[in-house]
Amino acid sequence: MEFGPILRAMTRNKTGAILIALQIAFTMTIMINAIHIIEERNDAMARPSGLDEANLFYLTSTGFADDFNEQQQIEEDLRQIRALSGVVNAVQINAIPLSGGGWSMGLSTEPGADADGTGVAVYFVDEHGIDTFGVEQVAGENFDITDVGWRERTDTEWPDKTILTVAMATEMFPDDPMSAVGKTVYINDTEPMTVIGLIKTLQAPWNGWSGVERSMLVPQKMLFGSARYLIRTEPGARDTLMPQVEEMLAASNRGRIIRSMRSLEETRERSYRGDRSMTLMLKIVVGILTAVTALGIVGLASFAVNRRTRQIGTRRALGASKGDIMRYFLVENFMITTMGVVLGAIMTVIFNIMLVDSLSLPPLNVWYIPAAVLVMWAVGFLAVSGPARRASNVPPAVATRTA
Amino acid sequence: MLSMQQIAKVYRTDTVETHALRELTLTVDEGDFVAVTGPSGSGKTTFLNIAGLLETFSSGTYMLDGRDVSNLNDSARSKLRNEKIGFIFQSFNLIPDLNIFDNVDVPLRYRGFKSAERKARIEKYLDVVGLSGRMKHLPSQLSGGQQQRVAIARALAGEPRFLLADEPTGNLDSAMARSVMGLLKEINEEGTTIVMVTHDPTLANEAKTNIHLKDGVVSETASISQLGNGKQNAA
Amino acid sequence: MFSYYFRLALVSMRRNPILSALMIAAIGLGIGASMTTITVNYVMSSNPIPHKSDDLYYVQLDSWDPNNAANEPNEPPDQVTWTDAMALMRDAPALRQGAQAKSNLVLEPPGDDERPFMVLARSNFADFFPMFDLPFLYGSGWDRDADEARELVVVLSREINDRVFGGENSVGRTLRLGGQHFRVVGVIDEWSPMPKFYDVTNGPFDEPEEIFIPFNTMVDFQFSRSGNTNCWKAVDGNGFDAFLRSECVWIQFWAELPSQAERDEYMQFLNSYVEQQKALGRFPRPMNNRLSNVMQWMENQEVVDDDAQVMMWLSLMFLVVCLLNTVGLLLSKFLAKSHEIGLRRAVGASRGQLFTQHLVESATIGLAGGLLGLGLAWLGLRGIELLFGDMVDRMTNMDWVMVLAAIGLAIVSAIVAGLYPTWRACNVQPAAQLKSI
Repeated sequence: MEFGPILRAMTRNKTGAILIALQIAFTMTIMINAIHIIEERNDAMARPSGLDEANLFYLTSTGFADDFNEQQQIEEDLRQIRALSGVVNAVQINAIPLSGGGWSMGLSTEPGADADGTGVAVYFVDEHGIDTFGVEQVAGENFDITDVGWRERTDTEWPDKTILTVAMATEMFPDDPMSAVGKTVYINDTEPMTVIGLIKTLQAPWNGWSGVERSMLVPQKMLFGSARYLIRTEPGARDTLMPQVEEMLAASNRGRIIRSMRSLEETRERSYRGDRSMTLMLKIVVGILTAVTALGIVGLASFAVNRRTRQIGTRRALGASKGDIMRYFLVENFMITTMGVVLGAIMTVIFNIMLVDSLSLPPLNVWYIPAAVLVMWAVGFLAVSGPARRASNVPPAVATRTA
Repeated sequence: MLSMQQIAKVYRTDTVETHALRELTLTVDEGDFVAVTGPSGSGKTTFLNIAGLLETFSSGTYMLDGRDVSNLNDSARSKLRNEKIGFIFQSFNLIPDLNIFDNVDVPLRYRGFKSAERKARIEKYLDVVGLSGRMKHLPSQLSGGQQQRVAIARALAGEPRFLLADEPTGNLDSAMARSVMGLLKEINEEGTTIVMVTHDPTLANEAKTNIHLKDGVVSETASISQLGNGKQNAA
Repeated sequence: MFSYYFRLALVSMRRNPILSALMIAAIGLGIGASMTTITVNYVMSSNPIPHKSDDLYYVQLDSWDPNNAANEPNEPPDQVTWTDAMALMRDAPALRQGAQAKSNLVLEPPGDDERPFMVLARSNFADFFPMFDLPFLYGSGWDRDADEARELVVVLSREINDRVFGGENSVGRTLRLGGQHFRVVGVIDEWSPMPKFYDVTNGPFDEPEEIFIPFNTMVDFQFSRSGNTNCWKAVDGNGFDAFLRSECVWIQFWAELPSQAERDEYMQFLNSYVEQQKALGRFPRPMNNRLSNVMQWMENQEVVDDDAQVMMWLSLMFLVVCLLNTVGLLLSKFLAKSHEIGLRRAVGASRGQLFTQHLVESATIGLAGGLLGLGLAWLGLRGIELLFGDMVDRMTNMDWVMVLAAIGLAIVSAIVAGLYPTWRACNVQPAAQLKSI
C-alpha cells in the first residue's frame, strides 16, 4: 500500500486531516468516558437489594389524636395486615432499603470508645422481618417472639441479639465470616450484642454508600410517633392490596394519617432515577456525537473528492483501477482516523484521570480503548466509503478535459 | 500497433444524440510518430480518449498491439493503460500535493513494481528529461516546461509501447514547446510509437505522419502515410 | 453593504442546502447540549441571596471525635449540637443569628371536616425572617421575645395559607400542629432560594418548608425531627433531655456579620467559648472553628452535583467536536469557492471586503445554529425534567441571562469556527485562480 505518498500528500493539506483527527479524538474521549460511566451506573443498578422487590410495598401511619395509643395500634395493625388474604407477611420497620433515609451505627469486635467501628445500616424488625424481606438466612437462627421488645424514640440502649448480613460479617470477621454466629459485637462503644444469625443480602438505605451491603437487624418494634409497615404480598396481589391496606388502616382509626405509600419497585426507580437518566443522556450524547462526526467526515471527504476530481482522473488514466482509487481514500481516512485515535487515547486517559481526581469516579478499564479504536475505524470506514465510491466512479477521461 | 475499424462514438442525453466519431478507421504502425489535427469539435479529444482506453466506443473494432480491446472491462482497461500506454496531457496533470519523485512513481505503484525497481526507473527517466536534481520539489515550484518534462518522465517510466500526447505544448511558451517537442522526437527515435493530438499545424509538421480529423472522420492523411481507409470528405 | 453580504450568504447556503443544514445542525446540537448542562450547573451554583451572601455566615464548631475528623481532611461537623447552639444564641455577638432544624408535623386545620395532613416544618429563631429577607404577604415573623417566652406561634407559607385559610389574611387565627394550638403571626409569599442554602445538609434542592415555628417550642414539645442527625459518641442515658445534652449534631446555625470587625469579634467569641468547653472536658479535638459565607459554604458542601459537572464537561467537548466539524465544512466550502473569490478579487474587492462577506456568512450560520441550539436547549431541559421528575423541579428554568448566553455562545462559536476558513479563503491570490487550473 502506498502509505508513504498518501502521508506526504496529506502533509501538504494538513488542515482537513487535522480537523478530522481532532474530531475523532474528542469523539473517542467522550465516547469512552461516557460508556465507562454508563457501565459503572449499570453495575450499581444491577446490585440486588436482597428483597423480594416485586411483591413489597410500604406505608406510614402517623397518629395525632390526643387519645392515640401507639403501641396498641401497631399490634392491631400488624395483626390485621397479616391476616389479609394475599399478604405473605408484614413487619414494622424504621427504614426502607434504597429509600435514601435510614439509621446507621458503628459496630466493633472489641468494647471501648477507641475501637474502630464498622458502619452498618440498622433495621428494627420483629421475628417476621426475614420472611417479609424475602431474604435468605444462611447461618444461625431468626429472632424469637420473646426477643422482640419496644423502643422509644429517645432510647439509647440496645437489645442483646442481632442478625447481620454476610457482607457485614465479612467486614468484621474477614477470616471466617460464618464464624460470626455466636460471637459478640459492640454497639455504642460498650454495649454487647450477640450475633444469632446471618442473612445473605440486604442493602442499606443509601445506594451511594460504599458499605451498601452492610446491614444489621435489631429485634425491636418502635414507638416513634410514626410507624412504617413493610408488607409482602403473594405474586400479583400487590397492586390490589395497596389501596385495600391503605383504606383499612385509615378506617380503623380516624386519629391518624396514613401516608407515603409506595411500592418497592417505585422506590428502586426513584433511587436510581438519577443514574438511569444520566446513562440515557450519555447514550443520546454518544449517539448524536458519533453521527455528527460521521457526517462531518462524509462532508469533508466529499469536498476532498470534488477538489481532486482531476487528480483522480489522471490516476485512472495512468492505470489505477476503480479499486485502487477506492483504496486510496479508504487508506487515507484510515491514516487520519489512526492519528485521531492515538490522540484520542491520550486525551481519554487524561480526562479520565481528571474525573477520577475531582469527582472520584473509578478509573477506566483499559480494554475500552482498543474497543473504541475499532469502533472509530469502523465509523471512519463507513463514513468515507460513500465519497470513496463516488471517487472511484470518476471517469478517466476527466484527465483530458481542458479545465 | 494501433488499428481502428469503423469506430463510432455517440453521446446520448435524454433529448440529443451527438456523433463525436463517425466510423473512424485508421492505423498507426509501430515506431510511427503521428500527429492528429483538426478543428475544435472535430473529435480529436474523443479519438484520444478512445485510443487511450479512457472511454468506450459505441461500435467498431479497436486492436491495440495486436489485441482486440473493444470489449474489455474497466479493470482490464486500467491494466492495459498502465502497461502499454504513456499519457502526456496539455495541462500536465501532475498531482500538486506530491513531489516530483512521487508523481513519476504514481503509475509504477499501480504496476506493482518493487520499490528498488521503481526507484531505479524514476531516477533513470527523470535523468532522461533532465530533472534528476529536482526530485523533492513540488510541481508548483517548477516552470511549465519543467512540469511537462516531469509528465513525460512519468509517461516513460512505465516503458510503454506507445505514448499518447494531448496538446503537449499547449500550455507552454514557444521555447519550452520546442524543447518538449525535441524530447518527444528523441523518444520516438528510440522506438516508442507516439500519437500526438494538436491543433497546431507547425507542430504537426514535425511528426512523421499527419492525420486530419473533421466532423468525426479522417479527412486527410498526409506524408509517409500508413493510412486508414476511411470515408474521405473533401477538406 | 451588509444586506448585500447577507443576501450572498443566503445564496451560498442555498447552493449547498444539505451542507448548510449539517453545519447549522452541528452548531445547534453543540450549543443545545452545552446550554442544557450549563443551565443546570448555573442554577445549582447560583447565588441564592446575592445582596447579602457576603454578610451571612455558617457557623461550624469542631466538637467531634478525637480519633476521627467529622469529614476528611479535618473538616468540622456540618451541624452543631443543641448545647452549643443554645450557648451561641445566649451570648454570641452577632447582628442577627439563629439555630434551625427540620421537622415533620401533623397539621389539623380548624373545622371538623378538614382532614389532617403532614407538613414540612422548619423550627427557627426570630432572626431567621429578617436575616434571610423572607417576603411577607400578611403579618410578620415573631420577635425575639416570642422565642424567649416559648410562644406557640407559626408563620405559614402562601401555599398552606391558601389550602387551610383559602388565601385570606389568617394572622391571628389558630390551627393545631403536632397536637398543640398555634397562632398564625404571618404568611410569607413565594420563597424558595436556589440552592436552599440555609440547610444544604438536608438537601440543597429540597422543597421549601411549609410552616415555620419557634425552635424552643419545637424542643419543648419534642416534635419529631426529620433532619440529619449525627453522633460520634453514645447518648448518655434515655429520654429527650439526654439527647439534647448529647454530642449529636442536628442544628444548622447562621449568623449575620456584615463587617470584618464583627466577624473577627464573633470568631474570637467562638474560640474563647471552645476554650471554656475544653476546660469542661468537651471539644477533644484541636481548635477548628469555621465561619463560611454563603458561597463559601455552597462550595464547601459541593452543592453542584457531580453528574451535572460531568455532563457539562462532556457537552462542552461535544460542542468542540461540532465546531471542528463546522470549521472543516466551512473551510472546504470556502476553498471550493476560491475561483469565485479570485474573480471578486480581480474585479476589485479588497481582502477586507471579502473577509467581511465570508464572516457574515459564518455568522449567519452561527445565528441559525444558535437559534436552533436555544430551541434544543429548551427541549433538553424539558427532557431533563421528564427524566428526573420532581428531583430537578426548579433546576431547569432558563432565565434571560442563559438565553442571551446561548445566543452569544452560538454566534461567537460560529465566528470562531468561521474565522480560520475565512482567513484561508481570503488569502487566495487573484491571479492564481483566474488561470485555468
